[in-house]
Formats: sequence, structure tokens, C-alpha cells
Amino acid sequence: MKMKALVVAAALTLAGGAAQAQQMVFTSWGGTTQDAQTKYWAKPLTEATGIAVVQDGPTDYGKIKAMVEANAVSWDVADVEFDWALQAGQKGLLEPLDFTVIDRAHLDPRFVSDYAVGSFYYSFVLGYNSAAFPGEKPATLADLFDTKKFPGKRTFYKWSAPGVIEAALLADGVKPEDLYPLDMERAFAKLDTIKKDIIWWEGGAKSQQLLASGEAPIGFFWNGRVAALQADGMNIGISWDQNITAADALVVPKGTKNKEAAMRFIAAATAAKAQADFAADTGYAPINTGSAALMKPDVRATLPDQQNALQVNADMAYWAAHRDEIGNRWYAWQAR
Amino acid sequence: MSIIRLALPNRGRGGSGLALAMPAVLLLLAFFVIPVAMLLLRSITEPEPGLQNYAALVGSPTYAKVFLNTFFVAGIVTLITVLIAFPVAWALTIMPRPWAAVIFAIIILSMWTNLLARTYAWMVLLQQTGLINRILISIGIIDQPLQLTNNLIGVTIGMVYIMLPFMILPLLGVIRKIDPSILQAAALCGATRWQALTRVLLPLATPGIASGGLMVFVMSLGYFVTPSLLGGTANMMLAELIAQQVQSLVNWGMGGAAAFILLVVTLGLYAVQLRFFEAREGTR
Repeated sequence: MKMKALVVAAALTLAGGAAQAQQMVFTSWGGTTQDAQTKYWAKPLTEATGIAVVQDGPTDYGKIKAMVEANAVSWDVADVEFDWALQAGQKGLLEPLDFTVIDRAHLDPRFVSDYAVGSFYYSFVLGYNSAAFPGEKPATLADLFDTKKFPGKRTFYKWSAPGVIEAALLADGVKPEDLYPLDMERAFAKLDTIKKDIIWWEGGAKSQQLLASGEAPIGFFWNGRVAALQADGMNIGISWDQNITAADALVVPKGTKNKEAAMRFIAAATAAKAQADFAADTGYAPINTGSAALMKPDVRATLPDQQNALQVNADMAYWAAHRDEIGNRWYAWQAR
Repeated sequence: MSIIRLALPNRGRGGSGLALAMPAVLLLLAFFVIPVAMLLLRSITEPEPGLQNYAALVGSPTYAKVFLNTFFVAGIVTLITVLIAFPVAWALTIMPRPWAAVIFAIIILSMWTNLLARTYAWMVLLQQTGLINRILISIGIIDQPLQLTNNLIGVTIGMVYIMLPFMILPLLGVIRKIDPSILQAAALCGATRWQALTRVLLPLATPGIASGGLMVFVMSLGYFVTPSLLGGTANMMLAELIAQQVQSLVNWGMGGAAAFILLVVTLGLYAVQLRFFEAREGTR
């Protein structure tokens, strides 16, 4: 099967001649997520068009900026956080996307801009190790901040990004519709009440390790990582109450020499089937509105897009506009 | 002046020496000196020309705390490393040869093992549900797990472990040259063991302690992986601040300013050491 695919790809490449034997580089965040991106996005593209996709990573915003400024772009498509994508587009670091190649009509409009389309969307959810809480289970964001009711270390995402600040404010009683503009001081005051109990996770693998080992029996996670632990048969609970959505985006750094291949990659990655297959494997939601119909109902039920009623959408435009300011205050507070 | 003299010890044959050094000089120029100069330039031009990045670094209590943390951690690590490395180096010197060779090989092998793997191993050992806490609880020494990671303790343990070879090796070089009969002579002259250590052995080993200590201190100042994995954000070090500014905030001006301050401090310490050693060489 694999052999056949290789032969077909080789034949296509040969038939197309040197002019069409294209190669491009895709960078993402590694781990199971990038494995799925390779399997469901890159491979079908290579089989259909002969465009070879080289995988690289992890994504590094500093590197993207360096590449663009030096006019030596070696990443043709990058998976980035959506708020960074919006900001980078404004700062001139990205190529405008070619919507004659990418089919905009079927993409969730929340995750489309001139410079970026959604890669997948995810929710930050409350996850807990059930063994640590034999009685009442944590259910709300307020429980996440309640060390009396649910004692133990808690783990949160380390980097400045949509999610944790919103969670602190919601736990403190702010209504979802009043979240923005973010009251940073209030969020920090709430986080201060549990600061000595926080262990920060800087990547998905560490978050899983902390939760599964019970090192931090409760925390705020990317939903796909909790789903993966559950799929492995671990006794892990999840609460979707006030899950906070954020998204990754696919972008093309400005000055790439493989622009055409890059656009075709994004078109392939955001197609209904590619998004459906990726979602089924990772537990992250598709951004193509046609994907839902292609998925099994029981798989669909586990995805964040089924939790709309409980959902709070992080405001990507607000974050894009205030990313630097929030980041500086976030890291200053962490070091305090 | 002293740097030049050290770099070109044989000034009589300086011409051919310089030619031989050219490949290394060119490599450093292209891949170190020029990039560092560009980084310095960015630190005074981004986001706008001026010294605002340095002013922000020096003026903010947060960054002041990061600087203090950095020196504090590097100092503690250096001190503990010396305290552990000195007896080890002495033991290696007086031990029977085959044993010394085995222990020496273990020390060298640990240096060759991947840094990240070693740090992760410490993470697994030290965490609350880790081996050390479980053993201590099962033999009844403690009831509640000790907090050994995500704080200063974790960083110190992890970094001392990684730095030990860098202290033992220079110390060994110096201590091996000390004639053991000198200690017998001290004893014959009526020195207690403590006096023999503090008034004979330690002064003779000082050059090793100084060069090993400086190496460990300077390496610790710029360390990233271990503090980032074993430390908490409350004891953030300078390298983590630089990574945040460069990678997460894409604020190269600030990152460059922090990196440049670190570089100046390091070069300053190096200059102090050179002077110190030059003075010692002179007295011999």
C-alpha cells in the first residue's frame, strides 16, 4: 500500500517533469498533532499533486521574523496561534492568502482572515485526575481556583496566550460577555490566590505527564490532550463548563519561494475530508463547515464544536491588538 | 592588553601563529562577532532608536528580580559545586589508580549524555510522585511529599549535577600537581589536619577552584534548559527572559539588550580572572 503510494507519487513526479516536482516545508508544534497533520494533510497532497512536503518544527515566531527580514524563508507554511497570525499579518510578516486556490466558502468565518485560515480549533478545558478526587468532582472554573475544596497542585499554560487570563476572570465571576477588554489586574489578583500551587506546562506532552502522574491532579488543558489520555484508558475527567476556544492558524511567511505549493497545501489541509480525518484522530474541532457530515456521530460528540452552549470564545482580534502589552505584563507577573 | 597577550603567548613567532589562527578567527567573526554586533544594534534601535530597552531592564523591579535570581542561582550552584568537587578531586588523586580511572570515566561519561535527557531524568526523580519522594514516604521519614521541583531546590540540584565535571576537571589538574609529601611536611611541623587543609592544600588548589568556579558561574549565568524544566517562574533566570522576549513576544530589542548585559557581565568576570591569574603567574 505504502509502496504503491510511493510508486504513484514517483510516477506523477516524473510525468509532471522537473517544473512540477515541487517541494515545500511545513512547520508545526511536533507530537501527535503534527503526526496527524502529516498523515491527513501532507500525504494526500503529495499523492494527488506530487508536491513533496518536508516536516519541520517546532514553530518559532522569532525564527519566522528572522527568515522574513533576511529574505531567506525556509518555512513555506507554518502552524501558528491565531492571535499571533492576525498580529503578524498586520506587521507585514505574512503573504496574503490566495482564495482562488483556497476555498473560503466552506471555512468557519470565525477563523478566516486575509493572511490566515484556521488550522484547527480547540478548547481549553478543566481536566482532572479522578483518582485524586474520589468524592465530588471539579465541575466549574471556580472549582479550578478553589484549593480548599479541591486541594493539590494545578497546572496552567505557561506562555502568554488566550485562555488562562479569561479563565481567572470567569472564575472570579465576570460574565462571558463582559470579558473584554481584559481586566488584567483582576485576573492577576485571582491567580495570586493559587499562585504557589501552580505548576506551568510549556508543551502538551508535559501537561499530560503532570495530569496522568497526579503531580498536578487538576488543571486547564488543550482538550485534545485530555482526550488522548482518556483514549489511553486513563481515569481522567473533563469538564466543558465555560470551555474557552482558541485556534491555530495556517500562514505563509512573506517571501517564500514556494508560494504556489504553499497555497495548495493550505487548500488541501482545510478541505472537508482532511479536516474531518484530522479532527477524528486528535480530538480538535474542524474549521471546515462540511467536515461534520463526514464524521461518525460518536466521534463528533467528543469535539469542542459540540460544546457551543457551554463555550466562551476568546477574542482573537483583541488579543492580536494587545498581544505585546499582555505578554509583558503576564511574564512580569509570573516572575513576581 | 592582557587578552591579547594571552591569545598570542609566543609573540616572537606571532606572524605564523596569527595565520594558523585565521580560520578560527574568521569563523568566530562571521558566526559570532557580527551577529552579536547586530543584536547589540537591534537593542538600541528596536522598536525605536534609544536606550529605552536598557532603561526598561534596569528600571523595572521585575527584571531586577530576574537579574538577582540569575546571580543568586549561579552563586549557589558554584558554591555547592566547589564543596562537592573538591573532596572528589582530592579522593581521585590519592585513590589507587584503577579505582580512580573508573570514577573518572563515570564523571566523563555523564558529560557525554544528552543534557535534556539528564534534566528530564531529574524531573522524574524529584517530582512529588517521583522516586525520591516515594522512597522517603515508604520508609517513613516524611508523610507529605517534599516540593523538590519547580523551585530553587530543583534548579540547584539539576545544575550542580550538570556542572560538577566542569569543576572537578580543572581542580584535578591542579591538585594532581601538588606533592602529597607537602601534607606530611605540614603534619611534621605540627599542623592539625584542619590546618593542613586550610593553610596548605586549599591555597595551593586555589587556581583550580578559581578557574573551575568561574567556568561554572559563567555557564550557570546563561543556562536555559535546566532552570526552565526544573525551576518555577518565581525564580526565572536571564536566559528564560531572553527566550520569552525573542520567541514569544518577538521583541528582539529587549531580548538583545538582556543578552548584551549578560555578555558584558561575563566578559567582565573573565577579565577579572585573567588579571588574577596574571598576578599569580607573576609572583611565581
